[in-house]
Amino acid sequence: MTATDHVQAPAPALPTRKREKGKATRPAMYILKKLLALVLTLFVASLAVFFSRFLVPGDPARFLLRGRSPKPEALEEITRQFGLDKPAWEQYLNWLGGILQGDWGRSLTYRQDVSDVLLGRLPTTLQLVALAAVFITVLGLFAGIVASLNKGFGDRFILITLTAAGAVPPFVAAIALVALFSVGLGWFPSFGSGDGGWDRIWHLTLPALALGITYIAMVARVTRSSMNEQLLREHVEVATSRGLTRGSVVARHVLRNALGPILTVSGVLVAGLLVSSAIIERTFGLSGIGQLLVQSIDRLDFGVVQAIVMVVVAAFVLVNTVVDLVQPLIDPRIAAGTESR
Amino acid sequence: MSQLLQIENFTLGFPGRPPLLESVSLHVNDGEAVALVGESGSGKSLTTRAALGLFPGGSESSGLVSVQGLDTLTASKQRLMELRRRHASMIFQDPRAGINPVRTVGDFLTETLLRFDGLSRAEATERAVKQLEQVGLRRAGELMDQHPHQLSGGMLQRVMIAAALLNSPDLLLCDEPTTALDVTTQAGIVKLLREQQQSRGMGMLFITHDLNLAASLCERVYVLRRGEVVEHGPTRAVFLTPEQDYTRQLVEATPVIETGAGSASHAAPGLDPAPLLKVSGLSKTYHLPRGGMVTALDGAEFSLPEGGSLGIVGESGSGKSTLARLVVALETATAGELTLRDVPRPRRPLKASERKALAKDVQIVFQDPYLSLDPRIPVGNAVADVFRLHQKQGRKEAKDSARNLLGRVGIGPERFDALPRALSGGQRQRVALAKALAARPRLLVLDEATSALDVSVQAQVLELVEELRDQLGLTILFVTHDLAVVSRLCSEILVMHQGRIVEQGPTARILEDPGDDYTRNLIASRPRPLWDAEPVTA
Repeated sequence: MTATDHVQAPAPALPTRKREKGKATRPAMYILKKLLALVLTLFVASLAVFFSRFLVPGDPARFLLRGRSPKPEALEEITRQFGLDKPAWEQYLNWLGGILQGDWGRSLTYRQDVSDVLLGRLPTTLQLVALAAVFITVLGLFAGIVASLNKGFGDRFILITLTAAGAVPPFVAAIALVALFSVGLGWFPSFGSGDGGWDRIWHLTLPALALGITYIAMVARVTRSSMNEQLLREHVEVATSRGLTRGSVVARHVLRNALGPILTVSGVLVAGLLVSSAIIERTFGLSGIGQLLVQSIDRLDFGVVQAIVMVVVAAFVLVNTVVDLVQPLIDPRIAAGTESR
Repeated sequence: MSQLLQIENFTLGFPGRPPLLESVSLHVNDGEAVALVGESGSGKSLTTRAALGLFPGGSESSGLVSVQGLDTLTASKQRLMELRRRHASMIFQDPRAGINPVRTVGDFLTETLLRFDGLSRAEATERAVKQLEQVGLRRAGELMDQHPHQLSGGMLQRVMIAAALLNSPDLLLCDEPTTALDVTTQAGIVKLLREQQQSRGMGMLFITHDLNLAASLCERVYVLRRGEVVEHGPTRAVFLTPEQDYTRQLVEATPVIETGAGSASHAAPGLDPAPLLKVSGLSKTYHLPRGGMVTALDGAEFSLPEGGSLGIVGESGSGKSTLARLVVALETATAGELTLRDVPRPRRPLKASERKALAKDVQIVFQDPYLSLDPRIPVGNAVADVFRLHQKQGRKEAKDSARNLLGRVGIGPERFDALPRALSGGQRQRVALAKALAARPRLLVLDEATSALDVSVQAQVLELVEELRDQLGLTILFVTHDLAVVSRLCSEILVMHQGRIVEQGPTARILEDPGDDYTRNLIASRPRPLWDAEPVTA
């Protein structure tokens, strides 16, 4: 045994000794913490959503009786029927209790359960958003990867195109797409949401593209810069020096490592799509929740507004929690709590 | 004798700029270990990468770089990949940066086997485990499923070496493979490389800035300076009887352990002056975010007399930097006493006024001058600001003082308005030193202040510190991992290991007759030339 062998011995023990404690419980704790944060965020959001109604001017009951001179008894009747006479906190508890049992209250304008109103519209919006998300991921990633790997003209061309595309407001994009693909070329319909299946996808293609175009630009930019950063890393050079093909190096060592930021940004963007869908739904005559939200705000239909806002918030928080939960799988250093480089 | 790697008149550069490499010629024979020595920016890495056909984007090159007859300048992509897969491998400097942090060790090792050798996952894993065991890693099977951040730097470098050896290459290129490692770890890696190179009969090209290391591993050496080979020959001849001035300077600048080289004379003995700095039972523990504690410093006890010089030696994680940071109050101790000029240090973060008062007495110079100077403040102003703050000088007076002081550390007045980025590493460290001295401190803490510098620059900075110490009667606390550097500068040494002081005393005594196993190990780990006798085994 030489002197050096003595020192080598404690080295393997070092990392394990530090991490022994709570090694098994760590992932479980991480997930539990994230889920707790999710529930807490939703709770706080529900408070904000519910009580913000009291900040809006106007009495919903009075709005319902618009056009008629409200008799005090009728007003009282309506107020009682919708539980508006109770103290605010009791209304909140009733509302929250109802939601937990799947009852979102009644819509003032539609005279039916909010959940029914919502369920009629939600699928269209979700399909629209899902299709847009597919476009964003596929086209955004593709544009970003191509830009990052083709320095010089290709990179600059894509970058300029992206900047231009990112600056186009969705409704302008919608009109342009309709003019080109449905009026000009006649490839896609310009109106309605189709009958489900391929027809649905065919109908939703243009709206989804119009909805996603700004976001495609953003995802592509994040992909490009995240990959550019990784391309300079030494481990990429090491991979190249071992004789891996360019494709392997990019897929396994550049793109794989660049996924973290891309995923974070995509999560935030996709969740935000639910909100921005209103304009697109209107332009393409789709009956989704975006359009419903605008109408309901206009008519002070607070039950529907609250429900939609809660759904959007829940989707937002949920998507981001999922992103957070997936991150450690992408970069194990996050789970270990060591510095991420 | 066949030439494994042959580089003839290799010139590389970017269009419109002076070449980075100029007519470099060198060769490596089968089974031969050759060192390529030079300082940063000399083109060592470029030369080595060229052997694998890795050229910086947009560069132009001419000449011949041939590995087993394959010219990498003209070879097709396919042939180059073939070369990298089967015939030549490279070990990089920093394994933590060089191994993909998000993939497992096993994945890193087996990816080439699965793709190009047509092995099944089980076969590839078996071969990788065998290779890991061969490079001296225990529990290799478990390691395969671990991620790089779970391994120490030394283990990771062994993984990197295992990956390089997997396909039994004929040529092994090593780019400063031990620079990122501790001395004792370095000794193990060097031994491993030597063994593998000998037993496999591989040709090896070893890049390093450390002459001692080159001498301990290689039979022949090339000295590279600014892209040109200035001298080459058998290692022993080049180092013992260098022909070129540059080589001679390099050899002289390389620190060696000097025992009793007059260093003890600086401590004024007999009078036993009152200690400037006194530390007793000083401890620092950190709480980890998920519970658990790390004891960075455990019951440190020492005193430093006025005008003395104390070297704190240890490897990474030994607590030496924590100790330095405690002394300058960048950290607050968890327990124990620290007294500076008979003023006890309160055990809480200092108030702004206390910090200012302390900064007048104690100054610190950090390791990396690229990070420790504000990139937007001209160096002259940076120093003048210290004069204005601590000496209450007016704007003009401060500028004059700064100019004087900078001149004294070897930065001419023409550099007064330069931004840090216009200066070289050595010049920056001089500016950092001037900044510290401008406060006229009694105690100067140097935290690895020369570790990031080239040997020749390090020698200059050390000389400067020595000079200033003698002229100004400075008290010096030098934190370093390099025994040779302390042996030159400090009369007393304190050896730290895992947060504890394992040994302290006069430099000469400790270096000649270390009382602790760890100190002995540290001294034995320093690379020795091949022509010297084998180190005495513990």
